[in-house]
Amino acid sequence: MALIDLISENVVKVPMEAATKRAAIEELVAVLVQAGKVKDKDRILEAVLKRENLGSTGLEKGIAVPHAKAEEVPSLTLAIGISFTGVDFGAIDGKPSKVFFLILAAPDQSGPHIEALAEIARMTRSETFCRLLTSAVTPKEVVQLFKEE
Amino acid sequence: MESPVRKILVYIDGSEESVTAAQYAVVLAKTLRAELTAIYVINTRALDDLVKSRIFLTSEQEEYAHDIEKDAERYLNHVKNLAAQKGVTLRPVKKRGTPFLEIKSEIEAWGVDLFVIGEISKIRSRRDEFFNETERAMRNVRCSVLMVKDEEHVWKIYDEFA
Repeated sequence: MALIDLISENVVKVPMEAATKRAAIEELVAVLVQAGKVKDKDRILEAVLKRENLGSTGLEKGIAVPHAKAEEVPSLTLAIGISFTGVDFGAIDGKPSKVFFLILAAPDQSGPHIEALAEIARMTRSETFCRLLTSAVTPKEVVQLFKEE
Repeated sequence: MESPVRKILVYIDGSEESVTAAQYAVVLAKTLRAELTAIYVINTRALDDLVKSRIFLTSEQEEYAHDIEKDAERYLNHVKNLAAQKGVTLRPVKKRGTPFLEIKSEIEAWGVDLFVIGEISKIRSRRDEFFNETERAMRNVRCSVLMVKDEEHVWKIYDEFA
């Protein structure tokens, strides 16, 4: 499954309102609940926070990739959030995170989960792409960027 | 005249589309009296990339590698059973590495005539041409490639096939 198959306007939040790491993760999980992609918000939130407690998924260039696998996730799913102000996500470069990719998968979908994460890793190596993402102001713009990338 | 297709390889990646492709490959293999192999590649390249990019912790890499090993066994057993139900012997192959390279290598080593893949995304982006492993395999292998579409039709063919 290509990453673009997981991206639609209803799983993109621009701008995010969260000011803290926990609130950012909650906001993204809520996006997936509202889009009908997942149901059990609390269990999923717990799984993502448990993973974050092992080490932050805040990368360089303002990117964060929180992720988890959970029984409550019916199929591989992704939410994207853009924060205009940035959130302290404990990133490795110490800078605030502005672009968030929340990826969730069922435990028996490790293969597609890995490939989706790897695709994000490759894409976010491009400084131009990251800059364009952080300057997107609507979900439509974000979806379009992925189609054109 | 001898059948132009004697060895079929189907790529299984854990997606529903790839299992549908396997069902079609089973029907083809029996009809053409061809040998059938299913390949699952544990994408260790992607796992390495995730650790390098710091999305994964080393412990997470090991955990996911273990999970994917189990997925590979499960999916290969599943398609082997699908083949057995139709009286077809399927050779399961599990490899580790970069999927499209391992597929290419298996096709050359085993002399595959036809490579069967599941349907790939309808929505295209330029990125997919470079990073989607099924698409990369399709573009790089030497033999002919058959992309299986319309899963409901394939399920019907498979179910009705004796």
